[in-house]
Amino acid sequence: MTTQSDTGGGLFAAVRRYRQSSGSQVSYRKNNLLGYLFIAPAMALYLTFNVWPIFRGIAMAFTDYRFVYPDTRWDFNGFSNFVKMVGDRRALDAAGISLKYLAFVAPAMILIALALAVMISKVKRGAAFYRWVVYLPAVLPVAVIFLMFGEMYGFQFGFINTVLRGWGFENPPNWLGDRGLALPAIGAAHIWMIFGFPTLLFLIGIYNIGAEMYEAASLDGANGWHQFRYLTAPLLKPTFALIVVLNLPLFGVVEPMLILNNGGPANSTRTLGLYLYQQAFEVGDLRLGYAAAISLVIGLFSALIAGLIFRWSRQD
Amino acid sequence: MATEADTTGIGRQKEGETESRIFRLQAWLRQTDFFSHLVLAVVTFIVLLPLLWIISTSFKDRLEFSTNSAALIPSSFSLVNYLYMFEAIQLLPIYMRNSFILAGGVTLIQVFCSALAGYAFARMRFWGRDYIFIAIIVSMFVPRAGGLMALYELMTFLKLRNSLFGLILLFAAGLPAAIFIMRQAFLAIPQEVEESAFIDGASWWQTFWRIALPLATGAMVIIGTLAFVGVWSDYILTYTMIDRDAQLTISVGIKKVLATSYESALSPRFRNQFAGEAADATMLLFSALPVMIIYALMQKWFMRGLTEGAIKF
Repeated sequence: MTTQSDTGGGLFAAVRRYRQSSGSQVSYRKNNLLGYLFIAPAMALYLTFNVWPIFRGIAMAFTDYRFVYPDTRWDFNGFSNFVKMVGDRRALDAAGISLKYLAFVAPAMILIALALAVMISKVKRGAAFYRWVVYLPAVLPVAVIFLMFGEMYGFQFGFINTVLRGWGFENPPNWLGDRGLALPAIGAAHIWMIFGFPTLLFLIGIYNIGAEMYEAASLDGANGWHQFRYLTAPLLKPTFALIVVLNLPLFGVVEPMLILNNGGPANSTRTLGLYLYQQAFEVGDLRLGYAAAISLVIGLFSALIAGLIFRWSRQD
Repeated sequence: MATEADTTGIGRQKEGETESRIFRLQAWLRQTDFFSHLVLAVVTFIVLLPLLWIISTSFKDRLEFSTNSAALIPSSFSLVNYLYMFEAIQLLPIYMRNSFILAGGVTLIQVFCSALAGYAFARMRFWGRDYIFIAIIVSMFVPRAGGLMALYELMTFLKLRNSLFGLILLFAAGLPAAIFIMRQAFLAIPQEVEESAFIDGASWWQTFWRIALPLATGAMVIIGTLAFVGVWSDYILTYTMIDRDAQLTISVGIKKVLATSYESALSPRFRNQFAGEAADATMLLFSALPVMIIYALMQKWFMRGLTEGAIKF
């Protein structure tokens, strides 16, 4: 980092002597209070809006804070939020839906991303274009994406059903209005939105393995599947673990449902994230405390899985 | 004898020709990465399909949409959806302006704060510097359990709910990655440049502002671009913190405008001229246009930003 200043080389010593002789206050070596001034704006913002909510959010999970009654802000009630959750039928159902969503979207997306990254790394021309295409959905506003897919899935004039009718399917499904189809349909749109970043991460991982490794492997007669199985896959293990962990927040998914159908039809897409959002901001006396407790459970679950994955990625 | 030998010879030759043709085909397929390109072309199509459909739908009038809704190239072009959007949706310019204020404000604050802090972490010596830096990076990975609820309380307490200014501060506070990128950028500058400035009697501020900052323009562009696009596209924070139309952004407000478009489709001026879905498609396209343009123009910076952000892992 600032090793150059520690070595006290010729030029640097000259600078210091110059400063001492000219009475300058500035020095690389002293405790430079100006540094605190430089980081002050960033730290003020960060501590207020990013660090404080971490602690307050955890504390809130142990209170009976209901927003319409401001006095309940610090009404600590121990673990009763968590006890209540275990007996809350709707929360448990929502947790099951969230789990289903995570178990469907994350593996499908990671497999797609891995396959695409391998292919993009192979092509000699056009890789930059494919990288651009793959990341395009990720920059679009999330509301635009899901409303756009809402129109794609439209029952009467949606693109998919019009094409299906053209192919001779008389009764195409009502994608977002069907209890069994709504969740996978939203999940597919979600995959479309987020598969780009993991693809690029995998791609960076493959580029880092380097062409020499692949040349050496092909000299030893390893091609195609064998190259992937014994060279790419093991070396991508840390990247894989990272991508899984980065996508664990899918368990707390809320935005697609909030934008598209608010958990419908018949609550078949009411995820745990959406349920806590409704509890906190939409229904009854706005139970921020209870919502924070659910949120904490989601966070702990994600942290647990993340820990397991990282432990697995360190093993050989 | 001779004829027999000839025929077998010819047969072998033919066989060899077809074999070599197959071999050449195989070699060609491998050399041009034919199958990879094929699959990637299909993926490209799938990625672009919804966008192409939205674009083409925006040019369809009522008749064209109801008879030809899946066509990616409409058989007749109409601008009725655009006319409707600009004439009938009065909230759209307000939302658009708010989005530009919000994204622009966040971009400026984030670039400025992260440059200052990144410079301090890279170049200045003060007690606890490295501990603070590591704490910032580590805290990035702590899950924000209950964070949304805590922010809601905090913003209400600070009287910053329903305020664009408050939302700017809230978004601008997402600084760790930006600080990290700026610090790396400043560390990459040879220290001699700044030292010679000090010899000429420049202060810390002058050295930072005149010497170091211009050399870190690339990193600032990366941070600014990612911040602008990220903030423009946000949904849930804005949706939670703002519930007045006058402060709402386009990425959240778009849903309200769409819901009304089905009613105003019945208004006399545009009656029976356009389909609600087609008008919605137009507005969706319009609201995503700024980020699409930025992404098209800044693709190099995006890739650099993602790579530099990813390398830290």
